[in-house]
Amino acid sequence: MRKRYRYVALELASPLVAIAFAVLVGAVVIAAIGKDPVEVYRIMFTFAFRRLDSVGIMLFGATPLIFSGLAVAISFRAGLFNIGVEGQYLIGTFLAALAGFALKGLPSFVHLPLVIAVAALGGALWSLLPVYLKVRRGVHEVISTIMLNYIAFSLIHYLIADVFMDRQQGLMPGVGNPLIRTPKIAPSALMPRMHGFLALFGVDLPRHVYLNWFFPLGLLLAVAVHYLIWRTAFGYELRAVGHNPAAAEAAGIDPAAVQIRAFLLSGLIAGVTGLSDLLSYFGYMDLDFPKGYGFTGIAVALMGKNNPLGIVLAALLFGFLNRGAEGVQTFAGVPMDTVVILQGVMILSIVVASAVMGRYIRRQERKEALGASW
Amino acid sequence: MVSELLASAIRMGLPVLLAALGAVYSERSGVVNIGLEGMMIMGSFWGAVGAYYAGPLAGMALAVAASVLMALVHAAVSVTFRVDQIVSGVALNILAYGVARFSSIALFQKATMSPHVQGFTPINIPGLDQIPWLKPLVTNLSPLVVVGFLLVPLSHWVIEKTVFGLRLRAVGENPLAADTLGLKVFHLRYAGVLLSGVLAGLAGAYLSVEHTGMYVEGMTQGKGYIALAAMIFGNWSPVGAMGAALLFGFAESLSFRVVESAVVPYQFIKMIPYALTLVVLAGVLKRTTPPAADGIPYEREEA
Repeated sequence: MRKRYRYVALELASPLVAIAFAVLVGAVVIAAIGKDPVEVYRIMFTFAFRRLDSVGIMLFGATPLIFSGLAVAISFRAGLFNIGVEGQYLIGTFLAALAGFALKGLPSFVHLPLVIAVAALGGALWSLLPVYLKVRRGVHEVISTIMLNYIAFSLIHYLIADVFMDRQQGLMPGVGNPLIRTPKIAPSALMPRMHGFLALFGVDLPRHVYLNWFFPLGLLLAVAVHYLIWRTAFGYELRAVGHNPAAAEAAGIDPAAVQIRAFLLSGLIAGVTGLSDLLSYFGYMDLDFPKGYGFTGIAVALMGKNNPLGIVLAALLFGFLNRGAEGVQTFAGVPMDTVVILQGVMILSIVVASAVMGRYIRRQERKEALGASW
Repeated sequence: MVSELLASAIRMGLPVLLAALGAVYSERSGVVNIGLEGMMIMGSFWGAVGAYYAGPLAGMALAVAASVLMALVHAAVSVTFRVDQIVSGVALNILAYGVARFSSIALFQKATMSPHVQGFTPINIPGLDQIPWLKPLVTNLSPLVVVGFLLVPLSHWVIEKTVFGLRLRAVGENPLAADTLGLKVFHLRYAGVLLSGVLAGLAGAYLSVEHTGMYVEGMTQGKGYIALAAMIFGNWSPVGAMGAALLFGFAESLSFRVVESAVVPYQFIKMIPYALTLVVLAGVLKRTTPPAADGIPYEREEA
């Protein structure tokens, strides 16, 4: 049994190897533009961790990534690759904004859950076509979801700029240009921030931190997804289909039905990704609503090895990287986009490290099995 | 009028054609290359860099070098380390996006665009340019258009008639049998992926250096993925890919005319290539068959 622990340690080692390798590549990139990598990394850490508000901002930044990471991971577990989280959360966010500003006079305990449900359904709606095409027509979900991402960008652009744009923004006539955005969401649909709750524990977050209850909600969702994957019959079917669809079918599982449910579930979670920003920071949806959570979600899911706890850790890591990169851009003149390079390198190195270690473990296990039979 | 529309379809479809030809080489060897988009991003950015500092030919060379470097990573990760080819490709696309933004800030102080660059001198096809109704098709052409369309029969010949092509197809259909016969499966798959890198790099460089005259962030607009769809629709063959690429080029050039007439909101016009891709892939028009071992990493029995 002691050997088992060693294998687990080896499994855990691959994300660390990936981080180390990405840090190394990052250092080369930073050195290439004539900056001192050690100094840049030092600034990154001190900027991110020295002040309480910065830590709050990191947690706020990690919140959408927990949702998008979980969404990607569920599809991965079923052997599907949901690159459409990007489009799904934009559609979900828009429908949530619509339900947020169009419905008035509802009490908060009705309006807020309703808006969240609408966002989730919007995400699921946008994941319906790819999984249908996958199961019925054999269209690879990667291409279909990417196409639907582009279609979603255009559709949202149309809906915000041409249909639902707020034309009563209270500007003085002739002063400035109105923002291209939806009307403001009713206060009853906004998510409260965590300041009051944290103050009970003597933690006083400044007003410019938007950390809200979607963060603990994301943690709860991670627990729920963990339970779903490892403790329910559906989770078992999900893993069986993801591992080997033919064997699952032979065991009496209908792979198509499982994949459809898994992908729709992935879409439901994806739909909620943008709400932490929408319902606390913005209060409306505009054309510059944050993009890219879906793609970062892929990196988060892979870094977290499709494991909900790992995903929470990976989301925190990326929250830290984004926050640290802001500091580095301001104080060291290194472009923030270094983080995107780090993400790409991390994905590549984690999958390579996992593959190499997985093979090593299998070889060791085979040897042991042979040894035991002697 | 018809020949003008066709000429416009050719100009719009060329990047898809080049990348789709690349995809044919990669996938016939058994490697799915979803990283074409990232390779095109690298091609478009580094093509503009090369053209800005040393002229269009240097642009092409730099674009191909950068794109091939990405292809090398894809081959190493997905052929040597046998990691999921889709994951590797998606990671490359994210990486390329970051590298282009980062390098653009480092070189041009702007993340999203390069200065204007000079392309090749346009050429006419001698002889044919005397026929009046053919004029839009054979005059004032980018040399890359000519190269692109010459590559179609050349690729067909390479894949169908040469020893290299036969071997490439063998490792894409049945790598174990090919290995048993002494073919170097890994080398051939590397060759397929690297060739796709060359062509995707040219496709990207065409967009920035020849078509637009500068690099703009996001200018590939998913053409790498559309190229994959074109290759699938073209049934994994160069000639079929050309037909599909022209179809996409046609849809795009037609959409510009609809925008000019301003009947439909332009956001819906912008969706046309993507919607067309979905329709094409759904097999609404016809069904296709991939190489038998496409997308499956080849693993020799471990001792």
